[in-house]
Amino acid sequence: MGQQPFEILVTAHHGEIFRYLTRMTARPSEAEDLVQETFLRAYRSYRSLTPDANVRAWLFTIATNLTRNHFRAERRRRLAHSALSESRTELYGADPASVSQLNETQARLDAVVSNLPLRQRVAFVLRKVHDFDYEVIAANLTCSVESARANVFQALKKIRQSLKEHDLVTEFER
Amino acid sequence: MTRKPNVCAEIEQDLIAVATGEGPAAMRAQVDGHVRACRPCARELERYRAVEHAIGTWRVSRVDTGLARSRQRIEVGLADLRRRLLVARVFDSPLGPILMARSEEGVTLIEYLDHPGSPLRSRLAEVAGVEIVEDDADVEAFYRGLLEFLEGKRTRLDWPLDLRLARSDFQRAVLRTAAAIPYGAVTSYAGVAGEVGKPSASRAVAQALRWNPLPIVVPCHRIVGADGTLVGYAGNKVDLKQRLLAAEGVRTVAGHGGPQIDRRLMYVSYPAEPLYCLPSCGWLVTLEQPQRLRYFGSQDRAEAAGLVPCTDCRPDLHPISQ
Repeated sequence: MGQQPFEILVTAHHGEIFRYLTRMTARPSEAEDLVQETFLRAYRSYRSLTPDANVRAWLFTIATNLTRNHFRAERRRRLAHSALSESRTELYGADPASVSQLNETQARLDAVVSNLPLRQRVAFVLRKVHDFDYEVIAANLTCSVESARANVFQALKKIRQSLKEHDLVTEFER
Repeated sequence: MTRKPNVCAEIEQDLIAVATGEGPAAMRAQVDGHVRACRPCARELERYRAVEHAIGTWRVSRVDTGLARSRQRIEVGLADLRRRLLVARVFDSPLGPILMARSEEGVTLIEYLDHPGSPLRSRLAEVAGVEIVEDDADVEAFYRGLLEFLEGKRTRLDWPLDLRLARSDFQRAVLRTAAAIPYGAVTSYAGVAGEVGKPSASRAVAQALRWNPLPIVVPCHRIVGADGTLVGYAGNKVDLKQRLLAAEGVRTVAGHGGPQIDRRLMYVSYPAEPLYCLPSCGWLVTLEQPQRLRYFGSQDRAEAAGLVPCTDCRPDLHPISQ
């Protein structure tokens, strides 16, 4: 059917799916599980994909769905939130004396993003890290394009509020 | 006492849109006009631009710890899935509802079902460790081939076979031998037993073929009892066996134990020999394992199987009158 081998698709998209899910989840091990599951799921339905399908957007949609299911299950265990806040610091190191102003801003952004509600986090990361248009984001969140945009803007507002004055000035005056 | 908000509420969305570069020209102009007159909003616009800048730096920050290991896990997971995954679908065939399943290696299961329905209501449900995905274009291609075969438009089904559902090496050997019986030819269980090197094991052969996971493709319908009776097929579907044989040009007559082939009216060959003979050929009585003989309903079928007329009995000059 003129479909390229699945390996090519893995090679092309593994990196960005990995980065996406790493930003979405709390622990690296969770991200690893979800990345694997994303590609296994994709493999199961790859053959029924229409030739004109946007493979990249399709993969991200699978990844988002798995993330949502994952957090739904997590929430049931009432673990999601606390796990999320602690592990980010664990991932990026938390020695304030040793990090530069720039790294501090980055770390703060990490923390803000990982504390966003899931829908905002999905919308924000898809938009600002992976450059998807609002149609794709809307499909990922099963919502309207307007609502997708509103989620991104909400995230931006929160980020703006959480970043301290000197984070922004430093960045801006560079 | 209410605190004065640091930005005018009605313009905040537009500030964000403009700062992120998403606002249309008219919106940009409007925001420009507003911030010229409103210092707090001008500061806020700068803040959002600074946020945008910070995000620009943040988004390229490396989060690649574990990337290689993740890739490795995908490879392992995929290899495992490929082994376990069967794609299956139930079709409404001229022989009744029929299930077809395939793996990456080849066609894995064909099963006559009593009821149309889900692939899960088939033998697949009993197979441990497999994962079943319903519906697939490739299975459909197999099915189209099968239809052509049933309609006589195709005499070979050269599909790669996945014999994973065979229960033993003996069964696999029996199935491979059965798969080599040519279109339009019939042999006996004893004949197959002889070919797998166990001449006395005809009952075991019958047993192995009873659980043939690939009927039609592995043509167990071409194997009949020692007296020529079409015993047992897919349980008790002897009528199906008769139909399949008829489509291949093998006629049956009524016998004591049900329909049977009449070997006196058929052309004869021996495995690995390039000839076909009349049933009266003197050469036949010299064979050590006469149970291995194969019988064809017509010269055409024998010749389509690559055989040439015997130069002793000359079936080409003395065709059997049917």
